[in-house]
Amino acid sequence: MSNYFNRTTSVAPLVVFRIGLGFMLFLGTIRFWLNGWIEGLYISPKYFFPYYGFDFVVPLGNYTYALFFICGLSALFVALGFLYRLSSITLFLSFTYIELIDKTTYLNHYYFITLICFLMMFLPAHVYFSVDAYRKEHIRANTVPQWCIDSIKLFVSTLYICAGIAKINPDWLLHALPLKIWLPARNDMPIIGFLFNYTWVFYLFSWFGCIYDLCIPFFLWNKRTRIVAYFFVVVFHVLTSMLFPIGMFPYIMIITALIFFSPTFHERIISFIIDLLPTLSKSVASNKTYIYSNFKKRFVLGVFFAFFAIQFVMPFRYLLYPGQLFWTEEGYRFSWRVMLMEKAGYTQFTVKDGNGKYIIVNNEEFLTRQQEKMMSTQPDMMLQYAHILADYYELQGFVNPSVYVDAYVALNGRIGKSMVDTQVDLAKEKESLGHKYWIINYNE
Amino acid sequence: MSRLKRILLLVCIAIIGCIVSCKPRTSDNTIPAKGNDSDRSLMLVNIADNIILPTYANFDLKLTDMISKSDAFRNAPTEVTLTEFRTAWADAYIEWQKAALFDFGPATDYTLNSFLNLYPTNVSAIQANITAGNANLENFSFYSAQGFPALDYLINGIATSDADIVSLYDTDIDAAKRNAYLLKLTNQMRLKFDGVNNAWKNNYRNTFIASTGNGVNASTSVMVNGIVYYYERFLRSGKFGIPSGAMVNGTLLPGNVEAYYSKALAKTLAETAHQSFVDFFNGKGVNTGITGPSLFSYLNALDAKDATTSVLISKEITTQFDVVKTKLDALTGEDLSNEVSTQNANMIAVYNQMQIATRMLKVDMCSALSITITYTDNDGD
Repeated sequence: MSNYFNRTTSVAPLVVFRIGLGFMLFLGTIRFWLNGWIEGLYISPKYFFPYYGFDFVVPLGNYTYALFFICGLSALFVALGFLYRLSSITLFLSFTYIELIDKTTYLNHYYFITLICFLMMFLPAHVYFSVDAYRKEHIRANTVPQWCIDSIKLFVSTLYICAGIAKINPDWLLHALPLKIWLPARNDMPIIGFLFNYTWVFYLFSWFGCIYDLCIPFFLWNKRTRIVAYFFVVVFHVLTSMLFPIGMFPYIMIITALIFFSPTFHERIISFIIDLLPTLSKSVASNKTYIYSNFKKRFVLGVFFAFFAIQFVMPFRYLLYPGQLFWTEEGYRFSWRVMLMEKAGYTQFTVKDGNGKYIIVNNEEFLTRQQEKMMSTQPDMMLQYAHILADYYELQGFVNPSVYVDAYVALNGRIGKSMVDTQVDLAKEKESLGHKYWIINYNE
Repeated sequence: MSRLKRILLLVCIAIIGCIVSCKPRTSDNTIPAKGNDSDRSLMLVNIADNIILPTYANFDLKLTDMISKSDAFRNAPTEVTLTEFRTAWADAYIEWQKAALFDFGPATDYTLNSFLNLYPTNVSAIQANITAGNANLENFSFYSAQGFPALDYLINGIATSDADIVSLYDTDIDAAKRNAYLLKLTNQMRLKFDGVNNAWKNNYRNTFIASTGNGVNASTSVMVNGIVYYYERFLRSGKFGIPSGAMVNGTLLPGNVEAYYSKALAKTLAETAHQSFVDFFNGKGVNTGITGPSLFSYLNALDAKDATTSVLISKEITTQFDVVKTKLDALTGEDLSNEVSTQNANMIAVYNQMQIATRMLKVDMCSALSITITYTDNDGD
């Protein structure tokens, strides 16, 4: 084992990954900006839903643009390998801050970016073919510890396998849900649209998706199957991007999966670019190995061990909670559960006080459509919203307001059910990591 | 693999990437396979050609008739012309209930519901506008001083006896100003409705039926979001939830019912509105009476049913519509302000059943139809 941690390999795959990731995030930031989502998601809402324990992350109003500017610029700098240490840290911090502002914008894709940016802060992705390497000869190196590259591969593999395990559930495999609901809505697509009028197609897609997620890391890791596996990566993600509104993620995964290719492959990509811009050859003129100092190595490996230990456990923490995971969503996030369920909800909140006042809340006055949509299916957000309402109506003259919710939620096409005990005053409930007793059990 | 091949591979990937990322943002404008029950274009065509366009055409006639009766009344205010005006007003108001639910596309662009039927009407604003003579009806604060509710006040509520009403438009010192305001109101209704109706007749119909995708701007999404919003806000809250006090403190607001001054129309308006919604859901042609492709048949084509109980979502919804109808039938009279004051439990009962129907429409139907409500990326959780 200690032998493994001394092994070195070409830095090229990590460098190509750095460039790909940096540019994708740079473009992603611009896309986000141009779509008006900075305004729509982070500035115009009146209220926000911070994560438990992260209440100190507050929305920044118009400074959110500055935050996105820093994020986009950092991503560009990471791609160029310019001031890499600093820019990889500001990229991680700015991106993570943005994600922490409002829970209703949570996407597994963004969580993936946060974590990969976390890893990248510790990796020497700038020692070769970068502005930093161009400028400073002493940092140049063309080989790095093998584990630096393997850690990215391991992380990507974890993601796929956990996503695959999550698909092993009766709805996905036995009922082809939720694809059975989502795919017919795309039956007007050119060429393949007609397929989505046939039930067997939903089962095919479901089973293929599950098997794909479970197997693809192994096939990518194996040299003999790699090309074919990568072909499937491209097909799979291009297909999902055409079928579902999932933004940049498919492309990020297509780029990321290149990390599995051999060093020679990546060296050729780099030399291909150098052929076009010969002046860059200075930045690759090195035969050194990047060596972490003893302390640094211990520290980084310690951080990475802890990171992966958490990663292996997080997706399964739901086992500690009673009740049906898809219904309560206790332990649902941060677990690579992607495209797993069709959930829709309708919540009617009633605020009352001891003097006989009451009002049925119009959610539109408090939340954006996106926020209302997310809140209406997720109990922890209902609780946060109940407290927002209690605080608001207290100022409006309600004495010790109590807040009740009639939450009607449909899961995977089944007729809706009540999600929350309508007799429980949510204003008196506190958020915690414990089970929320006021969620009504989901009985099929 | 040679270097050349590898570069070729990269180029291929880049090209594929470009093709994919350059595809139109949504496939809202593609042509679906014809003939399937789950073909949304058939549903959109039926709804546009057999429901929306004829409903607007029918309303157009009633509106024209009402305006001519209004003109006749203004030119010669008598109890006879007043009665004729009232009848035409009621007919047009009833007809409007059949069109109000198309609260999407042009009707939303023109905020037609707000211009034609915002109630309770603002009597002091009406009085002030009459006196001033130059009120700008586009002004947001005057939305509630125009349309059917304002006419309701001007021809039913402005004085107690018909003779007194007539004299206000005939011999009263402000008679000319009142007549001018009547004209202003009917002109405004004409203008707003024509804007919407012409948009449908000219090109929106084609835009509507061609946009068969399921993106947030595709017709199915826009339509479903629009009608569900209408059911919740205008039918449930506007007609029953607010006047009955069910939504705030239990405070009875008998003055907030629709057609408050007429006293002889509100129940019919509510029943007509609800029945029109049901017919829309079932795809029933307005003039033909024949049911065609609809939300009902589309839900069935998708085999939308509870995975556990096998109850069809379409059936669940229509059954609930029937329950609402029985509660509407149980309202004791046309005068719903009286109902609020004396039999409010009947109003609450309608509200409660409409609330259940709203949940089904918003959650069960929208979920089964995979309706998109926001623009942002999602990963399905």
